[in-house]
Amino acid sequence: MSMPEGAAVAEGKTISSISQLGDARTGKLADNLSGFGRTLRRAGVRVDAARMALAQQAVMLVGLQRGDFCAALEAVLVSREQDRMVFRELFDAYFRNPNVAQKLLAQMLPSAESKAEPAKRRPRVSEALAPVRAARNAPPAREEDKIEFDAAMTASDLQRLRQADFNQLSASEYILVERLAREVPLPLPRYAARRTRPGVRGNRPHWPGAMHHAARNGGEVLHIPLLQRRRQPLPLLVLVDVSGSMERYARLLLAFLHAATAPRHTGTAVRRDVFAFGTGLTDLTPAFRLADTDAMLEAASHAIADFAGGTRMGDSLAQLRLAHARRLVGRRTLVLLISDGLDTGAPEVLAQELGWLRRHGGRLLWLNPLLRFEGYLPTARGATQLHRQAHGMLAVHNLGHLQDLAAGLASVLRQ
Amino acid sequence: MNSSIAAPVPVSIDALVLALQNVGYFADRRLATAVFLALKLQRPLLLEGEPGVGKTALAKALGEVLSRSLIRLQCYDGLEQREALYEWNYAAQLLHMRAAEGQGSADMAQVEREVYQDRFLIRRPLLQALQAPAPGAVLLIDEVDRADEPFEAFLLEYLGEYQVSIPEIGTVCATATPVTILTSNRTRDLHDAVKRRCLYHWLDYPERERELAIVRAQVPGASAALATQVADFVGRLRSQPFANAFQRAPGIAESVEWAKALVALDTIVVDPEVVSDTAGILFKQREDVAALTRDMAEQLLQPADVDA
Repeated sequence: MSMPEGAAVAEGKTISSISQLGDARTGKLADNLSGFGRTLRRAGVRVDAARMALAQQAVMLVGLQRGDFCAALEAVLVSREQDRMVFRELFDAYFRNPNVAQKLLAQMLPSAESKAEPAKRRPRVSEALAPVRAARNAPPAREEDKIEFDAAMTASDLQRLRQADFNQLSASEYILVERLAREVPLPLPRYAARRTRPGVRGNRPHWPGAMHHAARNGGEVLHIPLLQRRRQPLPLLVLVDVSGSMERYARLLLAFLHAATAPRHTGTAVRRDVFAFGTGLTDLTPAFRLADTDAMLEAASHAIADFAGGTRMGDSLAQLRLAHARRLVGRRTLVLLISDGLDTGAPEVLAQELGWLRRHGGRLLWLNPLLRFEGYLPTARGATQLHRQAHGMLAVHNLGHLQDLAAGLASVLRQ
Repeated sequence: MNSSIAAPVPVSIDALVLALQNVGYFADRRLATAVFLALKLQRPLLLEGEPGVGKTALAKALGEVLSRSLIRLQCYDGLEQREALYEWNYAAQLLHMRAAEGQGSADMAQVEREVYQDRFLIRRPLLQALQAPAPGAVLLIDEVDRADEPFEAFLLEYLGEYQVSIPEIGTVCATATPVTILTSNRTRDLHDAVKRRCLYHWLDYPERERELAIVRAQVPGASAALATQVADFVGRLRSQPFANAFQRAPGIAESVEWAKALVALDTIVVDPEVVSDTAGILFKQREDVAALTRDMAEQLLQPADVDA
C-alpha cells in the first residue's frame, strides 16, 4: 500500500502495535495528521489547531484500523454536511493514492515538477491537492491555475468585470464572475409576521414579562413590557427561464440567488421555491435545499431535462398553477420571473397565466437580461405580455446590476 | 428509566455497537465511532440528517445503554434561557415574603437572602443535566436549529465548559459531564462556534441490511418476507430516480410505522393496491401521496423481487 512517507495508517494495525514502534513513528503520525489538516484547510474545511489536537486524541482512542481512523477524523474535523464528501476524497487521496503522495512530496521540494492530476475529483479537492509552490517554469495548463491567475486582478480589471455582460465573458472569466456573484448580498424586504417577541416598539402588553418584572419588585407592576411583531423576509417564488437564449444567465443567477438567500446570509430561514422552465416546468426547490452552491448547481442541471431548449412560458406557468398553486402563491409572495421574454408559446395563454400569477402573488417582478441593450423595447410577443403584467422590470445582466438588485426590489415594492 | 446502578461506558466501538443493538438501535460503525469518541472525549455530539433517520432515538438508546436518565430539551423558535436553564419560583418567593411580613420579621435583608435559596429554584433541563448525580445524565438538545441565534450563543458556555452562572447563587459546575446529543434538521445552518464545541455526524438513511434489522427488531410481528419487502420498497423509494418525484422521502420511522400497519392489516405480500391504500403512512404530504401512483408502486415492487 502506498502512502505518504510515514503515514502509519494500515489495515488491522492497532494502537498498541504502533506504540511498540517507538516515539519516532507516532511523531510521524502527528506530522501526517497536521499535513492532512493543512490540506483540509486549503479545501475550505474549517479546521483549527484545537480541532487538530482533538483529532490526535481521537486517533489514540480508536486505533489505526482504517475505517475507524477515517470515521474518527471525520467526526472531529468535519462539521458541515457539504464538507463530508470533500473530506472522504481527500482522506483517500492523502492516505492511499501514490500520485498524491508524490505531489505532497513535491510541496516540500520547490524544484520538483508535478504532472496534471488525471483523477476526476471535486474542484475543491483538486485545488487543495495542487502543489502550493508550483514550479515556475511549468506551463499553466489547467483551468484552475488560470482562474487563480485571474483572481490576482487589478482594481480596474475588477471594475471591468463588474460592468461586463454575463454573455460576453470568456470561460475563465465566467467562472470567476460566478464566484463573485455568490458574494453579492440580497437583503430581502421584510414584513411584520403574526408571531411576536418582546420589544420596545410593540403595541400589545407582554403579560408574562410584566409578571416577571413585578416579581422582582415585590409584586408591584412598575413597567409593562410590550410585544412587537417579528419581521421576516418575504417568501420568494423564483421562476428561471432555462431556454437556449438564457443558458448562461440562468446558471449564474441560480448560483447568485442560492447564495444570497441562504440562511447564513439572511439570518433567518427564507421560504424560497424555485422552478426552472423551458419547454416544461422543473421544481428546483429540493436542489435549493442543498447548502453547498456547487452541489445545488449539479443537482439542478441533473434535474433540468430541457436545459437550453425552447421556451413555452404560458404552458409552464399553467403547470405551476395546476400542480403547486396552493403551496406557492400567497398574498405576500414575491415572484421573481427571470426571462428574456423570447417565448414561443401562445401569447393568450401566457397573458392568462401571468394575470393569474399577478392576482394571487404579492408582487411580480421581471428580471430581464435584455435590458443590457440601450433603447430596449419589449416588442417580442412574450415580452409584451410580461411588460404589461409585471409590477416592475429590473436588469440583471452584470455584477453591477446584481449588486443594485436589492435597492431595485425595495423601490418597486414601495410603488 | 431512572436506574440506580449506572452501566459503564463500553470499552470499544464493537462493544458499543453491540450494546446499542441490545436495546434495539442498529448503528453503523461510523456512527458508533462518533458516539464512542463523544463518550470518551466528553464532547457534545451534533447529529444532523433528514427527519426520521434516528437522531433522537440514538439519545434514547444511549440512555438505556448507559442506564442513565435521559433529560430532553426540545428547542423551538423563541426558546429562552429561563425555559431551558432555570427560573425562580416567583409565586413561592412572594408568598414567602408576605408570610415573613405577616410574622413581623424586621430584617428585610435576611428575608431577601431566604428567597434566593435552592428551594425556590425551578430547574429546567440544562440545569437538571448539570446537577444530575454521578455518573451524569444523557442530555438531548433536540432540534437545536429551531431555536434562535441568541439561544445558540447562550449554549456556547454551557457546551464548552459545562457550567452556568446564576447571579444569586454563583457558578454551577457539572457534577458529572452529561453525555450531550444535539440534533438538527438543518432548517438553518448552526453557528460555527457551536459546531466547534461538538463532534459532528451526518446521519444518512440506512443501507438495506440495517433497515431490515431495524424493521425486524421493532416490528416482531412482521414475517421475514414482509420485513424484507418493506425494507426493499422504502430503500428503492429513496434511491434515484424515484426520490426526485417526492418532496420528502420516508425515514426509518415511517418504514417501521408502515410495517406495523401492514401487520395490523394482516398483509402477507405487499402489492400495488396495498401500497396505495397505505401511502399516507409513508408520506406526510398530500402531493407526495398523490405522486406515488399505482404504476410507480408496481415498478418499485418488481425489481425488489428480482433482487431477492
